[in-house]
Amino acid sequence: MYIYDQFDHAITKERVAEFSQQVSRRLTGELSEEQFRPLRLMNGLYLQLHAYMLRVAIPYGTLSSKQLHKLADIAKKYDRDYAHFTTRQNIQYNWIKLDQVPDLLAELASVEMHANQTSGNCIRNVTADQFAGVAGDEIEDPRIISEVIRQWSTFHPEFSFLPRKFKIAVTGAPKDRAAIQYHDIGIHIVKNDAGETGYAIYVGGGMGRTPVVAPLIKPFVARADLLSYLEACLRVYNLHGRRDNIYKARIKILVRDLGPAEYARQVEEMWPMTRAAGVDVPAGEVARIAAFFAPPAYDKILEPVAAFTAAKAKYSAFARWVQTNVHPHKVPGYGAVTISLKPIGGIPGDASSAQMHAIADMADTYSLGEVRVTHVQNLVLPNVKQADLFAVWQRLGEIGFAEGNVGLITDIIACPGLDYCSLANARSIPIAQRLSQKFADLDRQHNIGPLQIKISGCINACGHHHAGHIGILGVDKAGVELYQLTLGGAGDETASIGQLLGPGFTSEDIVGAVDKLVNTYLDLREKPSETFLEAYRRVGPAPFKESLYGRR
Amino acid sequence: MAQAKPQNKILTANRLRNGETVYYTAAGEWSPYVSEARIATTAEDADALAKIGAAAYAANTVIDVAVIDVNPGAGAKPSHIREVIRATGPTVRVDLNKSVAPPQR
Amino acid sequence: MAVVDRNGPIADAWTRLADEEAVSKGASVIVSFARLKNEHNSLFSTAGAVGVEIPGDVNLDELEPFLPRLSVIVVRMATMRDGRAFSIGRLLRERYSYGADMRAVGDFIPDQILFLLRCGFTSFEVKDNFPIDSLKRSVAAYTAWYQRASDRATTVAELRQGANPNGGTS
Repeated sequence: MYIYDQFDHAITKERVAEFSQQVSRRLTGELSEEQFRPLRLMNGLYLQLHAYMLRVAIPYGTLSSKQLHKLADIAKKYDRDYAHFTTRQNIQYNWIKLDQVPDLLAELASVEMHANQTSGNCIRNVTADQFAGVAGDEIEDPRIISEVIRQWSTFHPEFSFLPRKFKIAVTGAPKDRAAIQYHDIGIHIVKNDAGETGYAIYVGGGMGRTPVVAPLIKPFVARADLLSYLEACLRVYNLHGRRDNIYKARIKILVRDLGPAEYARQVEEMWPMTRAAGVDVPAGEVARIAAFFAPPAYDKILEPVAAFTAAKAKYSAFARWVQTNVHPHKVPGYGAVTISLKPIGGIPGDASSAQMHAIADMADTYSLGEVRVTHVQNLVLPNVKQADLFAVWQRLGEIGFAEGNVGLITDIIACPGLDYCSLANARSIPIAQRLSQKFADLDRQHNIGPLQIKISGCINACGHHHAGHIGILGVDKAGVELYQLTLGGAGDETASIGQLLGPGFTSEDIVGAVDKLVNTYLDLREKPSETFLEAYRRVGPAPFKESLYGRR
Repeated sequence: MAQAKPQNKILTANRLRNGETVYYTAAGEWSPYVSEARIATTAEDADALAKIGAAAYAANTVIDVAVIDVNPGAGAKPSHIREVIRATGPTVRVDLNKSVAPPQR
Repeated sequence: MAVVDRNGPIADAWTRLADEEAVSKGASVIVSFARLKNEHNSLFSTAGAVGVEIPGDVNLDELEPFLPRLSVIVVRMATMRDGRAFSIGRLLRERYSYGADMRAVGDFIPDQILFLLRCGFTSFEVKDNFPIDSLKRSVAAYTAWYQRASDRATTVAELRQGANPNGGTS
C-alpha cells in the first residue's frame, strides 16, 4: 500500500486546517451558504434529508486494516455506529454534525485518509479494479498510476471549479472491473505493438440523465506522458464545457457535441503546451510510488491444498461460497475473497462499526492487513491463503457477511435513495431488500446464474441502473414512487446502456415484475450457461416486454 | 364559485450547526418534531412563514429552508413521502427513527 | 471596489472606460475587448497604459497581437463557480508568455485566490468589505503542491527527488 511521506502528511494536515477555518467562517457568518456550499462539497460534505453526510475517499478502493479500524471508530464516535460503502469505492457517514467535521478530519488524517474532492465540480476520487495486484490477467497494477493521478489531482489549482464533476477510473487488465467506459475519463492499461506498457484513454462516458459509453480518444499514451495528456483533456473541457445548463455540463456532452475526433484534435493541440509546462512527474517519482505496490512476501504453496479441498468436500455451502466469492489469485495457494455486503434482506453496502472492526481483524489475520472496496459495494480480502478460506468463511458467518451471492441476482447495487438522499425521487433500499428476499433461495440463484440488478432512486444514477443487466430507476409520479425497468446494461469491457422496457411499476408490483423477467429468461435461454445478458443480447427486449405488458 | 381551500403549510429547514431536520413552531422556535410545527392555513400565513425562513437563513441559523405541504386537519402531517421520511428518518432503519412528537416527560 | 494582491490592498491606478468614453492623454485605462480590437491604434497612442477586460469565452488567439503592449488583463468570473479563468490564466502565462499584470474580477471568495495566484493572476478586484485576514490566511494555507502550475512553485515530486533517495527525510 502507498504510505504517506512527510509531504503527504503536511498537505493533508494543512487541508484539515484550511477546511476547519472554512467551517468556522461559515458558523460566524463570514461565509454565506452559497459561498460555503462548493467548499464543503469539495470536502465531501452534503446536506441530506436528516443531517449532513460525509463522504470519505478510499483512493482506488484500497484500505489497510488500521484505516478500516479508524473508519469503524469514526462511525461509533461521530455517527450512529454504521456507515455505507458506495459504488465509487468511498464510504459515507449519514449523521454528521458540521461543527464536528474538523475533529473527524483530523482523525482521518492520522491514518492517511481524507475527504478531499469526494464531491464538487472537481476531479473526484480515482477508482480502480478491486483485484489490483492480485489478478492473474493484469498488465500493470492500476494503483500505481491511480496514486500518481490522486496526487496530481489533489487541490489542482486549475481544475477545482470545472463545469461539473469529473470521475476517472483505471483498470489494469483486459477484463474491465472498474466500469471505465462509464467515467469522464477511463484509463485502460494496455501494451502496444512494441510491448511497452501505456494507457488507452476513453473520454466522455457517464451515467445520469444522458448515459454514454465513452469513446476511445487515444489508443496509447506512454507512461511518461500521462499527466500532461490528462491535463490537456481537462483544459479543453474546462474552457469549453457548458456552464449554462447543469444537465449538459459533463464532459460527455462536450465530446458528443464536438464529436470524439474533434475533441481529440483539440486535446492534441493543447498537449504540447501541457507537456512543455513540466506537468508530468519524473520517472523516479513513479518508481517511488510503484515500490509501494510491489507484491508482498507470499508463501510458496503447492496446490491442491488438502485442507481446502477437504473442507469443500465436507461443506457444500462453503464450496458454493468459494465458487462465487473467491476470485483466482495470481499466486498459487491464495485466493481473493469478496465479502458480500448484501446479506439477504440487508441494506446493500452498509456495515456496522462492529462488522468493520471484525473485517479489519480478519484482514490482519488472513490477508496481509489489506482490504479493498469494490464498485459493487462489497469488500475484498485480497490475499487469503486457500488453507484459511474455511476459517474466513466461518468468521464471516458470525458477523452476518457469509452470503455466497457475489455476481448473483441478490448481489444488488442500490443507492441510498429517498431514505437518506435529498436528490432522490424514490426509495431504493427497500426494493433491494425485497428483491433479495424474493430470490433468497441459493439453488435458484445459481440456476439463474450471473445477473446484476442495479437500482437508482433518481436519474442521477448513483445506483448505476444504466449498467445493470436489469436496471431499476425510481421516479416520482404525482407523489407516488414508481419504478422503471431497463434491460441489457453492462459495465464491463462490453459496456452497454440498458434500454427502457415500458411504463413503471409501483413499489408493490416491481418485485413481481422482476420475477417475471427472470422466469422469461429461464424459459428462453438456449442452455444453462447462456447468461441473462447473453440471452437478452440474442433475443432483444420483445419477449421480456411481452411478459410484463402482454402482446401489443 | 367557491375558492379552493388553500393547502396547509409548515416551515422546515436543517440546522446549520449540526444538520438536524427542524420545524418552525408556534412558539417561534425550531423543533426537531414535526407535530410541533406551526401550520399556515392561509396564503398570507404561508408567506409569513417563508419570510421567517428567509430571515433565519440570512441569520445563518438554518439552511435548506422550505415551506412544505401538510395534510388538512390538526397536527402537522407532511403530504409528500419525501417529507414524511424526512420527519421521522430512514424507513429502512426504524431503530434510528425519531418520533413526530417530543417524548413525554 | 478595492484591489488586492496576495499581501492585501494595493493602490489602483486604472480607470475603467465605457466604450463611448473618451481617452485622456496619458491615462491608464481598461477598455472592453471589442474596443481594443476596434481602436487599438488610437488607444495605444493616446493612453499612457492600456488594459483590457476579457470574458470567459474569449478567443485568446484574437488577443495575442495586443499582448506585448497590454499592461493589465482583467478576466471576469461570471460567478465563483466559473472556473474558466483558471485555464485562461495558465494559457496567457504559459502559452502566450504574457508577463504583465493579470487581474481577476467577479464573485470569487478569498479561498479561491490561492488557486488564481497559482494560475498566474497577480491582482484581484474585490468588494470593499473583502475579508483581508481570510485572504492572508488562505494564500499561506499550503507549504507544498503536488502539481506544476503557472507560479512554477516547487512540486512535491521535485522536493522528493531532492530528499534522501531512500525516501527518508535525511
